[in-house]
Amino acid sequence: MMWLSSMIGDFRFVFLDSNRYMLVLEGLFVTLEITFFAVLIGIALGILVASVRSTYDKNEEALKKQKGLGFYALYIANAVCKIYLTVIRGTPTVVQLLIAYFIIFATSTSDVNIAIFAFGLNSGAYVAEIVRAGIMSIDNGQFEAGRSLGFTYAQTMWYVIIPQMIKNVLPALCNEFIVLIKETSIAGYIGIMDLTKAGDLIRGRTFSAFLPLLGVAAIYLVLILMLTYMVEKLERRLRVNER
Amino acid sequence: MSDKKIIRVEHLKKYYKGDKIKALDDISIDVTEGEVVVIIGPSGSGKSTLLRSLNLLEIPTDGDIYVDDVAITDPKVNINKHRQKMGMVFQHFNLFPNMTILRNLTIAPMKLLGVSKADAEGKAMELLERVGLADRAGAYPDQLSGGQKQRIAIVRALCMNPEIMLFDEPTSALDPEMVGEVLDVMKELASDGMSMVVVTHEMGFAREVADKVIFMDEGQLIEEGTPEEIFDHPKSERLQSFLQKVI
Ligand SMILES: Nc1ncnc2c1ncn2[C@@H]1O[C@H](COP(=O)(O)OP(=O)(O)O)[C@@H](O)[C@H]1O
Ligand SMILES: [Mg+2]
Repeated sequence: MMWLSSMIGDFRFVFLDSNRYMLVLEGLFVTLEITFFAVLIGIALGILVASVRSTYDKNEEALKKQKGLGFYALYIANAVCKIYLTVIRGTPTVVQLLIAYFIIFATSTSDVNIAIFAFGLNSGAYVAEIVRAGIMSIDNGQFEAGRSLGFTYAQTMWYVIIPQMIKNVLPALCNEFIVLIKETSIAGYIGIMDLTKAGDLIRGRTFSAFLPLLGVAAIYLVLILMLTYMVEKLERRLRVNER
Repeated sequence: MSDKKIIRVEHLKKYYKGDKIKALDDISIDVTEGEVVVIIGPSGSGKSTLLRSLNLLEIPTDGDIYVDDVAITDPKVNINKHRQKMGMVFQHFNLFPNMTILRNLTIAPMKLLGVSKADAEGKAMELLERVGLADRAGAYPDQLSGGQKQRIAIVRALCMNPEIMLFDEPTSALDPEMVGEVLDVMKELASDGMSMVVVTHEMGFAREVADKVIFMDEGQLIEEGTPEEIFDHPKSERLQSFLQKVI
């Protein structure tokens, strides 16, 4: 009993005095804000890059014969995408964040926007590979059946491949965003007050590490368990509809 | 049968790995309107490559293919328009698993030919009736047997009103008891006057239905003739030994 009441006392001191819980809430909001917008950028960028890469792979031979402008444009776009994927996936996210902050946007004042940009750019590379793997996982016979009926490449993608692919990649995409929530905890490196930074700040102010850090960890955990639960439910739903 | 050449293939070559693998080594054939051409030959002889070149699923290394006297090997030609006139049936059916049978049959006519839903479904049901599968219109491909799937795949191609049908070993993936039902549909199609190019190992079908049989080996056209010429009086040694093995 002694133990419990001293715990409650500590909790009061750490989170309630001076309204320090507000720091946690604000931090949580920033974490969610960065994740949400980075996810949007990541999806858009990922789909774009995956489209370029698969279009190139599937049409390379046909376009090469024509040697037209289309081929060179696609060739260059594909090369750019490959470099983007290699660089993003081959360097630590923290370093990317620091480069965005100190080099690319050295003059910008909105730190959160820089973080959204950096995490969006980062996540785009992983989304691109998920989407591309999803496209590749569809039997090439499906593609050939579509083309043999007279559908263009784009129509075949739209009517035949993408509807089948979405089911395969949706769970992986959701997982990518669960990962992103945790990744954003390095936003503090560029002075952003996200959830992690809030916990750390309270630790400094209260000279107590235990509750602030465990509290923050618990919030992340609950958030991620909730999202994981939703993804699992979605996966089960997709499996039921499977044909 | 008219004399109109629906397909002409001239000096077609398809090489892989530079020119190490000659999947097609200078092939010239033609298909007259209403003709049934059957391609036979050992595995790896280039039969599929030749068939798939006819609608440019394979892009030839060299040579020309004319469909209705248009050189489809010319990069400026809109190949999608030509493919609409050339139905194709695959060994593994390749039905769209996420769509009902009816949707499988109507999606291309509706999206590509601008046919109304009612008309597309009307035509699809009529053809389903003919192959005895009208009651499966609402089913999904996974719910059908192999023979049923292949009959649906034939109907899917027919729904586009093609001028010619291409078949790549349409019965090779089927259990033996289902081969007949698919061949029957193909025979009926042939007797209706459809132009057909068929790659098959069904020598009985070739003998009965073909107007012309083509024997290929190692990417080359070795012998070409009527079923009697090919099966009863084979000239080349390669064809003789091939026939000995398969019959
Ligand atoms: N994508 C490819 N890359 C390399 N070689 C290939 C490829 N496709 C086919 N081939 C080769 O071309 C030859 C003809 O193949 P194919 O037309 O499939 O023969 P068939 O249908 O008569 O069995 C074979 O030797 C095969 O290995
Ligand atoms: Mg073959």
